[in-house]
Amino acid sequence: METTDFSQPIRQSSKGIIIIFAFNAFSFFKKFFVLFIAFGVSIMRRKSFGGITPTMMLLALLGVLIIILVIAILKYLNFKFHLSKDDFHLATGIINKDNTIIPKSKIQNVYIKQNFLQQIINVVSVKIETAGDKKSEIEISALDKPTALLLKKKLFNKANVENEHAEQIDTIEASEVFFKVTPKRLLLEGISQNHFKSFLLILTFAYGIYSEFKDFLKDLELEKHVEGLVKLDEDTILNLIITNVVIILVVVLFSFLFSIVTTFIINFNLEVVEHQKTIEINKGLFNKVSLSLTPSRIQNLVIKTNRVKQYFNLHSLSVKQAMVNAKQQKNFKIVALEKEQLNHLINKLLINYNNEGEVAKPRPYFIRISVLEMLAFGIVINALSLFLFGIEMLWINVVFVPFAVLYVYFAYKKAYYKISDNFLTIGSGVIDTTTNILEIHKIQEVELKQTLFQQRTDIASLVISTASKSVTIPYISKLEALSIYNFLLYKVESQDRDWM
Amino acid sequence: MNFTNLQIQTEQLPKVEDVVLKPISKSYLKIILLNKLALYTGLIGLVFGLKYIIEKKEEFQLNLWYMLSAVVVFCIFNFIVSLLAFKKRKYAMREHDVVYAKGLLVHSITTVPISRIQHVEESRSWLARHFGLATLKIFTAGEAGSDLSIKGLPYIEAKQIKEIISDKVNGNN
Repeated sequence: METTDFSQPIRQSSKGIIIIFAFNAFSFFKKFFVLFIAFGVSIMRRKSFGGITPTMMLLALLGVLIIILVIAILKYLNFKFHLSKDDFHLATGIINKDNTIIPKSKIQNVYIKQNFLQQIINVVSVKIETAGDKKSEIEISALDKPTALLLKKKLFNKANVENEHAEQIDTIEASEVFFKVTPKRLLLEGISQNHFKSFLLILTFAYGIYSEFKDFLKDLELEKHVEGLVKLDEDTILNLIITNVVIILVVVLFSFLFSIVTTFIINFNLEVVEHQKTIEINKGLFNKVSLSLTPSRIQNLVIKTNRVKQYFNLHSLSVKQAMVNAKQQKNFKIVALEKEQLNHLINKLLINYNNEGEVAKPRPYFIRISVLEMLAFGIVINALSLFLFGIEMLWINVVFVPFAVLYVYFAYKKAYYKISDNFLTIGSGVIDTTTNILEIHKIQEVELKQTLFQQRTDIASLVISTASKSVTIPYISKLEALSIYNFLLYKVESQDRDWM
Repeated sequence: MNFTNLQIQTEQLPKVEDVVLKPISKSYLKIILLNKLALYTGLIGLVFGLKYIIEKKEEFQLNLWYMLSAVVVFCIFNFIVSLLAFKKRKYAMREHDVVYAKGLLVHSITTVPISRIQHVEESRSWLARHFGLATLKIFTAGEAGSDLSIKGLPYIEAKQIKEIISDKVNGNN
């Protein structure tokens, strides 16, 4: 295999023209979509519009496409990059020439991605992120895979050029596929998900469609059945109930399918590769992504599971890193891990984490607040159902009250916190069981919060922020809160350790 | 080491509750008052504006006084709360961190270790310049919203704190 020389300015793969063309054409049509529809409809209706015939329209369209193609080719020709010893150089621009230089040491992340089109023509895009704002990211949209991997490696190989060879061999040898998800486990993961979110999404969607059609159905049937309506009163009510039940069942089914399909698409062929220092995640069906995790940049670990998942031994691990934009942050999630694999990963990412420390729970005040919350929620629900559906709808409380009781019970049961010498672990969740782990020396800010009502009972909450997430230890006694506060600050300030 | 161990240890740790917090400058109260007054006149003006627009409809006449009194009650309540809350705005600088306390209904004490500060900024609005005050903004790498901004410091003091912090931040690097 011929290796690419990055020291001379090079263009991306010539297939890049297709990618740029497709991307520009897509964004062009997206922008003028409404205009197109309006134009198209009026032409369809009148066969011509101000002397413009459909053929002329087509020609114009073709012209626009050709212009986009020419621009794409020019963009491709003017897009050159190369690496010097310490910097990454990029020259872009057709008329306005831009010359970007990024020092290797300032590069925060390098992603390799592959969307659907890129998969077809077998190229990948490389995204380079710096710590600056969003606009400062650079994307090279078409490289063949070996070149991309080499580029990534060279970008991360900072100034230490001398022992470059040795290191490269090292990393190649040390890397092994640690975890690969099987379709069966992915299916289980999809099924055992918390379906509430997709349920709500689909429900609103279905309800929207239903109410649209209801008007339509009314128009059709009411006039026919006006005389029959009085007689068939009971039947129609039954019908109404049946249709509603059917709709709800369909929605439940759909939300199931929706969760499963999205889990599959996002996590297709999920693969965790262990390198010597870093961990690499590869996944995705339509959008293939390849991300690497660097332990020093990790701020929080969030482990999620639930009752059903525990039964199937499924755990998911989200890694929150500093200096990663919110959109990418979502991708740093590994699903369907077994318990041992999870522990292994945690140990790899957090050195010396051994889950020690005494478990402490929030004060019973937590229950009081949860009950109050549920009460408020219940009042809102009751008022809404009373207002919208009448007095019969109050049976909703039959469902709601047990739900509320279970909610409060589990919320309190699952809430705990644990402080050891170097780590802070916080458990929470109601349906899900969430565990938040952070390294104490990565704390950026500590905040003690107390409302006016909590002053009498001496209750306070602690909010602890790292560079990527804030976690809360809710409702503990003020004395304890202060001692934790002092301890955390002492830990952060007494040891001169970097947070990144 | 576990948590019980830690309890004993915390006895000797520097305590944030023992720090003598300094109240912010009294003249910042004037700025708060002016801001609040502007807000209240805006609100009451809005009520009268509404009245003017829908004056033709008779039934709205009655509601309007309710609305006005509700707004006035809200204003008075808000005013009292912000007066009392003013006393809660306090700050302190320790060797290794900056402490800021605020809030009446929700009282919070925030501490930012100096080693975690990315940069400091001292900004002055038109009103603040008039009263010789400044706002000290402390930026950490924490997620958005976790930055600290101490309002209503005397200008000279804000500048001094800024100098001290910048020196320490730059010295650490």
